[in-house]
Amino acid sequence: MKKQSEKPAKAHKKNRNVAIVGIGMTSLSSHKEDQNQPEMIHEAVRAALADAKMTLDDIDCVVHGNMELFEMQYQPDMWHVLGSGAYGKDEYRITTGGTVGATMVCAADNLVASGLYDTVLAIGFEKLQEGNTTGGITNMADPLWFRNIQTGALTGTTAAMMIDEFGAERAKKAAMKYRILMDKHAMLNERAHRRFGLEYDQAEDLMKTSPQLVGELRLIHMCSQSDGACAMIFTHEKRAKKVCKKPVWIRDHITVHREENMSNLYAFEKPEMTHHYAARKLFERNGIKDPVKYFDVFEMYDPSAWWGLDWSREFLQLKGDEHLRLLEDGEFDLDGKLPLNPSGGVIASNPIGATAMLRPAFAALQIRGDAGGCQIKKPVKHALASGFGGTLWTVLMMLEKDLDW
Amino acid sequence: MAEFYGTTVADIFNTMPKRFKPEEAKEEDIAIGYECKGEGKWKVTIKHGTIKVEEVKGDLKGCATTIHAADAETFIGTTLGKIQAMDALTTGKLRVVGDVKLLMTLLPKIFVQYTVPEKKSSVVAKDIISTITERFRPDKAAGVDMKVGYDLAGEGGGKWTIVIKDGKCAVKEGLAKDLTVKMTMPAEIYVGMMLGTISGESAFTSGQVKLDGDMMAAGATSRFFNKFVDPNAQASEAEELITIKVTNSINCRFATGTAYGMWFKGLKEKKFLANVCPKCGRTQITPREICAFCRVRCNEFAELGPKGTITAADVVYFASPDPLTGAVRETPYAMCWILLDNASPQEAFCFDIKREDLPKMKVGARVRPVWAKETKGTFTDLLYFELDK
Repeated sequence: MKKQSEKPAKAHKKNRNVAIVGIGMTSLSSHKEDQNQPEMIHEAVRAALADAKMTLDDIDCVVHGNMELFEMQYQPDMWHVLGSGAYGKDEYRITTGGTVGATMVCAADNLVASGLYDTVLAIGFEKLQEGNTTGGITNMADPLWFRNIQTGALTGTTAAMMIDEFGAERAKKAAMKYRILMDKHAMLNERAHRRFGLEYDQAEDLMKTSPQLVGELRLIHMCSQSDGACAMIFTHEKRAKKVCKKPVWIRDHITVHREENMSNLYAFEKPEMTHHYAARKLFERNGIKDPVKYFDVFEMYDPSAWWGLDWSREFLQLKGDEHLRLLEDGEFDLDGKLPLNPSGGVIASNPIGATAMLRPAFAALQIRGDAGGCQIKKPVKHALASGFGGTLWTVLMMLEKDLDW
Repeated sequence: MAEFYGTTVADIFNTMPKRFKPEEAKEEDIAIGYECKGEGKWKVTIKHGTIKVEEVKGDLKGCATTIHAADAETFIGTTLGKIQAMDALTTGKLRVVGDVKLLMTLLPKIFVQYTVPEKKSSVVAKDIISTITERFRPDKAAGVDMKVGYDLAGEGGGKWTIVIKDGKCAVKEGLAKDLTVKMTMPAEIYVGMMLGTISGESAFTSGQVKLDGDMMAAGATSRFFNKFVDPNAQASEAEELITIKVTNSINCRFATGTAYGMWFKGLKEKKFLANVCPKCGRTQITPREICAFCRVRCNEFAELGPKGTITAADVVYFASPDPLTGAVRETPYAMCWILLDNASPQEAFCFDIKREDLPKMKVGARVRPVWAKETKGTFTDLLYFELDK
């Protein structure tokens, strides 16, 4: 079958290097009724400014984003202007669905790299308890056709395909191992929302008794619904070196869309998945031959244990059951070859508009050595972070500790 | 019986008949079993607007759905909303055998939400009066010279005079003759005002409190004292967090466009019309203006199906809202990916399968469409697919 463009993707031509110099986040939890939206954002912005040792005077531009449909609040940037610090500044609002947090990081990178702004503040947030997530997602589908059959973000198709490919026993066990690994990581991350304290010996029981949502996608496999905000500050090389002891460099990023229609995802002949395509192009143009070896951490947007596991194969350009073996052999553990989601991932914490920003944020904290309880013990120099949204859109980015590529 | 969040599992079941809303349960005929480890088992039978709650000693028999909690804390916590039911379900601390949907749909409809009964304070007026001198704030009462009389009728009541002079405060039994102001009220009203459960202003306005003398002085007294704190009260939640409830309901109209419009025109005629890429030959359903791979317009249309083959199938158990109505959907239902006959092999098409065919549905099975009696060129024209036997 014909693939999307075969031409080699052009590497980003950067006018100047850009670093992450400030990271702030609120606690991630199921309810935040003690704060309204601007107050919640304010908390994250303050934390990011404190982290960067900056004040609002240092910020030239604010990038703001979430999923409008979830809280049914149009133009939240206007409501949030005092909390976001955008009063009297240039502000851009971005809303690209699940990817929005990652897209904001890309946008901030581009705004600074281009020279248009020196220092940019990006804010991703969501208060899922204030609206209806599944209702929002369902209404995001093609209004002309698919909306009468949509089930929000839930699908059992990946589980069915993995069971078909690897056998029920191995596939189900692997999905549970992935799920419990994520919980073990979340237990180490004091910022994570859902920390259950699951043990591997519960896998057998949970994979049989956890309520079925769609097919073999069970409640235990699925991500949380969280409230929370994340803010990040970006500046150019010259300034970053002056003001920041541990800048984290944005090396490159890629955004890949597919057709708006989901139809051709699940036929007998399947197209190259956006995740695979994005990773292939990004690694190609950056000369990464073996991503598992090159990267020291991967913060992946994993909405469910099945998707997380299946997508690890796509992103890391693995073949056959290589991804299952990495998981089974403990190579995705905190002390493994490629620690996967030390933060606990999206399964543990999912304030959607912030979720895809939390991926590079947590990855950058790993590079800085500031990840707290879930810090990887060996040095982290190269990080990969992904975002996901809509009808399988992908954002993938590479972060570096040193400016040496 | 273990107590959590100020209540017990038995309290929840004992109040069930009182919280039951018969008018909401007229159509219901169901028995629900409850098991709470370490606490016991209960069977709740709801039939045409009546309810019977019984504690069960042996097995839970004759229950369509049973709900199992790992411990009293989980059961009470989820009932009160202190523990997220979704989290308890996810970790398996709460289990439902049968229809999980009941928790989200039926139960909230037919029962008033359980709340922990407020413990009545055992404090009486005399107790409060006895703390007056220790709560006195001389710094606020400099230069004040007044005598305030309280005439509190009823249990725990009595007559007192509070003398404030030269930055000192004393309480004397009985009412002095030269009072600055006298306040007469039932003792329980005084207690309620001091505990903050009754508004002083409305008690005065409604005539429950009678003032005799200098009204301004009466109003000023509160600032000479620290607030009375009920020593028996449980640490209660500090302040109510106010949330605003809003329901948005919006009518929308979407243009279909030239390519997509052909699809709906086809549906009206009970046909599946795909447009075909002139370059790669891909049949697109639903039709898109261009082929994304070849970047060319696709103006030719071809009829597909009407029969097809299942390429993937999702059985949905989770009761998600129907986006057309907002109502909770009947579960389980199936979303099938169907490759219509004559379609190119990468273009499957997603739709519902007939509920009765769910048990026999599998990848590779042949299906045929079932149309609405009257087709109007919209997505409700196609009802579902059924197995083609």
